[in-house]
Amino acid sequence: MVQSKKQKYLFLAFCLIPTFIMFSIFTLYPLFSGLYYSFFEWSGSSESKEFIGISNYIQLFNDEIIPMTIIHDYFLVATKVLGIMVLALFFAVALTQLKIKEAPFYRIVFFFPNIMSVVVIGILWTFIYNPSLGLVNSGLQFMGLEDWARPWLGSEDWALPSLVLPSIWAGIGLFMLMLMGGIANVSKSYYEAAEIDGANEWQQFWKVTLPLVWPQIKISILYIVITTLNGSFIIVQIMTGGGPNNSTHVMGSYLYEQAFVQYNFGYGATIGVMILIFSLVTVLILQFIMRRERVEY
Amino acid sequence: MGRAGIRIPLVLWSLAVLYPIIWMFIGSFKSNGEIYANPWGWPESLNMGNFVTAWTEYNIDTSVFNSLIVTVVGALLTLVLAIPTAYAIERLRFRGSQFLFTLYVSAMMIPMVLGWIPLFFLLARFNMLDNIYGLAIVYAVSQLPFTIFVLTSFMSTIPKSLEESAAMDGLSPYGVLLKIITPLSMSGIITVTIMNAIQFWNEYFMALIFLQTEENYTLALAIDFISSEAQYTNAWGTLFASLTIAIVPVIILYAIFQQRIAKGMTEGAIKG
Repeated sequence: MVQSKKQKYLFLAFCLIPTFIMFSIFTLYPLFSGLYYSFFEWSGSSESKEFIGISNYIQLFNDEIIPMTIIHDYFLVATKVLGIMVLALFFAVALTQLKIKEAPFYRIVFFFPNIMSVVVIGILWTFIYNPSLGLVNSGLQFMGLEDWARPWLGSEDWALPSLVLPSIWAGIGLFMLMLMGGIANVSKSYYEAAEIDGANEWQQFWKVTLPLVWPQIKISILYIVITTLNGSFIIVQIMTGGGPNNSTHVMGSYLYEQAFVQYNFGYGATIGVMILIFSLVTVLILQFIMRRERVEY
Repeated sequence: MGRAGIRIPLVLWSLAVLYPIIWMFIGSFKSNGEIYANPWGWPESLNMGNFVTAWTEYNIDTSVFNSLIVTVVGALLTLVLAIPTAYAIERLRFRGSQFLFTLYVSAMMIPMVLGWIPLFFLLARFNMLDNIYGLAIVYAVSQLPFTIFVLTSFMSTIPKSLEESAAMDGLSPYGVLLKIITPLSMSGIITVTIMNAIQFWNEYFMALIFLQTEENYTLALAIDFISSEAQYTNAWGTLFASLTIAIVPVIILYAIFQQRIAKGMTEGAIKG
């Protein structure tokens, strides 16, 4: 093969450099300058940019809304992980272990919300929660439970829990498929052996299925946690905008409000740094907790 | 254990998924009066008025066009950038290839909100704020890590002997990339492109930050706009019609490529 070193490097440069430049400009540079912005007070016009050291961070620690946003984020993380994993695992086991003819139908239907736009999902569910026209209140009325009807998204106590349902609704299909992939890889012989030992289906689930799909469960939990901490603000922005009375603000929606509504770009960047730290630390802690010996039989 | 008992939750969850979507479709044919009088019922007639109003009065036509441009330009640009890099990382041994791969892949875990503030000012400086092509570039780069990740794993399954014999026959490395690797990776390229396209078609938040004037709105923004209008004007039928317009292309894609989309997404989700 005749190919000079120079030609080889030229080709390598052709393959890598344009992409890396674009990635640097539109991903790396914004991340690092976001860090840099967090030391400025800045309302957006070039004259207003003023270096203020760690003042934004001091403000962060004294901001009464910040602890609320953190609690709200982790409330969403915990309820989503629990709701999605329990249901996705149940559906995955049901659709793989039990011979159900119409399984492909359920697989297709359950996955469909995963490819719907979060705007469509958010608006659809806002309408479902609509106090006078929505399905939830009219459903409760239909069942004779009028006392339960309430303005879900307009209530300080109920708005945040109400946001969990659409997220679970939209998320289950993906994780069900991931778990189904894990279950499909478990060799049938384990179940046969378990059956010979007299294990019932429930015991088989706990002793065989669960340990052997642990890698998929772990990845799914990590994935839900990351996507929630990094992206829960989108559904919040669409459905409640952080209200009523800040009762649904999460870190990201508060960043949006500070930066793009109030024009406190420096403080917004500081909140962004906080989000970055919280997601990285959470992922590290989770990986530490969930490290578990690989099961080998 | 009774199998019938297992079927009940499956049927209930299918209803929970399908009913709101069907309800939205039905609602798009109802007049506001019908929605108020009977939010659960069928429309009295197959009334297309909501679609006409959405299309003409609320400029859904412009935003559909904008979304199409952003989706197509974004998806193509992602490929142009990701294919050579994926090939170089996967097949050409060079110092730092593992580092570069780790750098791209770890970007999938980073919360990008922090980056959006500087990106806003960067786009302003490049005169690309409130510009759908600027948005398409940002979209394309945002999906680079995922696309590179999927394409490298796909390219690793292509036998090395094919490119070696092509090089023996005198094909330049550019030729190998364009005429051997790209066609052989086509199945992976199609999968990842469908998923990127769905992503770009659906995206909302970056569009909210980076677009400002109504004639540049993507579909997601236009719907959000109608939704906030509907709080005051009660244009619920129009809102349902535009939601329907937004998800019909996705339903069609899903119907055609259902298995590819599911496979691609679960593979893409396995990261971290």
